Amino acid sequence: MASKSTVNILETVALRKYYPTRTGINPLGKRRFVRAVDDVSLTVPRGKTLAVVGESGCGKTTLARTILLLTPPTGGDIIFDGVNLVKTKVNLKKLYREMQMVFQDPESSLDPRVKVKDSVAEPLGLLDGGDRESVDKRVSELLMAVGLSAEQGERMPAHLSGGQKQRVAIARAIAPQPKLVILDEPTSALDASVQAQILTLLLDLQKKFNLTYVLITHNIAVAHYLSDTIAVMYAGNLVEYGPTKEIISKPRHPYTVTLISSAPVPNPWKRNLLNIEIKGEVPSAINPPQGCKFHPRCPYAEKSCSEAHPPLEQISQGHYVACYFVDKTA
Amino acid sequence: MRLSEQPLLGISDLTISYETNRAKLVALDHTNLNIAKNTFVAVVGESGCGKSTLALSIIGLLPTPPAKVDSGAINYKSVDLLTLDSKRRREYRGTEIAMIFQEPLTSLNPVYRVGDQIAEAIVVREIRKGRDTQVETEVMQKVYSTKGSYLAPRFSRPRRGLTRLLRDEIISALKLVRISDPEHVISRYPFELSGGMRQRIMIAMALAEKPALLIADEPTTALDVTTQAQVLKLMKGLMNEVQTSILLITHDLAVASQVGDRIVVMYAGDVVEDANVYDLFSEPLHPYSQGLLACIPSGSKDDSTLKPIPGTIPDLRYTITGCKFASRCPHAMKVCHEKPPGLIEAKPKHMVACFLYGE
Repeated sequence: MASKSTVNILETVALRKYYPTRTGINPLGKRRFVRAVDDVSLTVPRGKTLAVVGESGCGKTTLARTILLLTPPTGGDIIFDGVNLVKTKVNLKKLYREMQMVFQDPESSLDPRVKVKDSVAEPLGLLDGGDRESVDKRVSELLMAVGLSAEQGERMPAHLSGGQKQRVAIARAIAPQPKLVILDEPTSALDASVQAQILTLLLDLQKKFNLTYVLITHNIAVAHYLSDTIAVMYAGNLVEYGPTKEIISKPRHPYTVTLISSAPVPNPWKRNLLNIEIKGEVPSAINPPQGCKFHPRCPYAEKSCSEAHPPLEQISQGHYVACYFVDKTA
Repeated sequence: MRLSEQPLLGISDLTISYETNRAKLVALDHTNLNIAKNTFVAVVGESGCGKSTLALSIIGLLPTPPAKVDSGAINYKSVDLLTLDSKRRREYRGTEIAMIFQEPLTSLNPVYRVGDQIAEAIVVREIRKGRDTQVETEVMQKVYSTKGSYLAPRFSRPRRGLTRLLRDEIISALKLVRISDPEHVISRYPFELSGGMRQRIMIAMALAEKPALLIADEPTTALDVTTQAQVLKLMKGLMNEVQTSILLITHDLAVASQVGDRIVVMYAGDVVEDANVYDLFSEPLHPYSQGLLACIPSGSKDDSTLKPIPGTIPDLRYTITGCKFASRCPHAMKVCHEKPPGLIEAKPKHMVACFLYGE
């Protein structure tokens, strides 16, 4: 793959992924679609972390899978390392040497009948080739990098704890020395103390190997801790996108405000959860509201919100919001 | 303890183990816990610390075997629940002590309408209550539909099968949990409702008989953050409205801090700290509680650092002689490996099980 040295390792331009629905006979004879990812444009600079946050069903995992070409996009472009993955014919084997993913549940992403070290060696053999000796050497380096002993490498996944399994999954993802690692809810199946271990490990690895992360998470605290930029998704749309610190301290889209204020903070003197007023629930994906999809729940909604979807507009350097009444949250 | 301070529920020296062919696993190790009237107690701990075993043992839903109560007592309103036979135990379940679970979709029956399921819960409890008292006729009126069997509501469509009284009761139960159009929700199937709605239905069912204690085992873990906020706010509000105590089981210290009046921290089958929420968060005493607080990301990578607790939770299949946290504890002393620390009152009403604060 031609490696042009661009600032952004990944760029998506108006990326769309629609899934057709199977809801029996439609009287109008029209196929309906779930707009899982609708018109999402993002950039990820090299060596940085982008966090995609949102609630279940907002399309964040679909976005990750589409970027990896695990599912073909319906429209839009994915530009990875200077190459348009949608318009050109891509050699997937070469692509996956540079782009890897860590899944949410290490239980199901590791083969239960394969030794841990062989699981880590598999992508090396498949993608890099190389002789047995160099692969073995690399595997022990990788296991050490993620904090596992050589003895643990000889075990089966069933003999490891959840946190250790996630370490194996991370070792396997960074094995082919990828440029981009997509982390899909890497800690949500883990306990608090183990989550802290994995987050620290991810930061260490990023520094050591100059990795770029796309972090998919529903946990605002994790996104805040790990990321440089945050993209907030709601019902398939990007509603806000900008520098992490700015978004956390001064969220501007009404949905982001709701999302951040409903994340529990470990502070009994600041009981934000008991003071907020939240209307309604996440809309159905098949039949979302017209216009801005958040308008039925939005405290500032006016007539124009239900007519057309507000475009993503820049309000300050690198901070984009899709809302007609962004001044009201200032 | 003076009689006026008698707690609603007092667990003393409770030891529960799971026995398998290969090993014996101690899930709760000489646990002590009191729950006062009308308080919100949050039990916090990581997976495998025994918090769900605690909840199930109180309501009496532990599968025995493999579970076995080795010692201790659970005193509810001065009756030891563990000495009751299953029939008498059932009189408490649902009416005095109710429970809601993590995943509302698996708690609700997928093939019956929501209204019928709430009706069933009310009917079963009414019948149990009305068995030998004078309220019997009232119950009969409420329960028996024209079809003449108390099972009728379950097998017939709600609008025809539910008697007026029962229907009114279901609607008021749904209104209690702030469901905006209960008449409509009554005839829905669980799959037609969102996760938050389903959990509200479970809460409505649990609170229909105004129990004195509601046990909630990870009630918001399967829900999104905005829905979680709504459900937690609802539970906190209902506690005062219905005059009930709530025992919340959670793995999330942040959630516990938001709603709990008292926090109980558990580790590997032990209660390690038990204190008022403000005392615990201003001055956590047990090294595990301190470690747990330092583990929660608050802030960005540039201006804060996480301090993970090293190591992993111990394997409970093997007997540990000393403090179970000693192998991971930065303050571990010689005595910590020799004998287990007891729960002591280190500060007024602040209990901790650690040798740093005396024998």
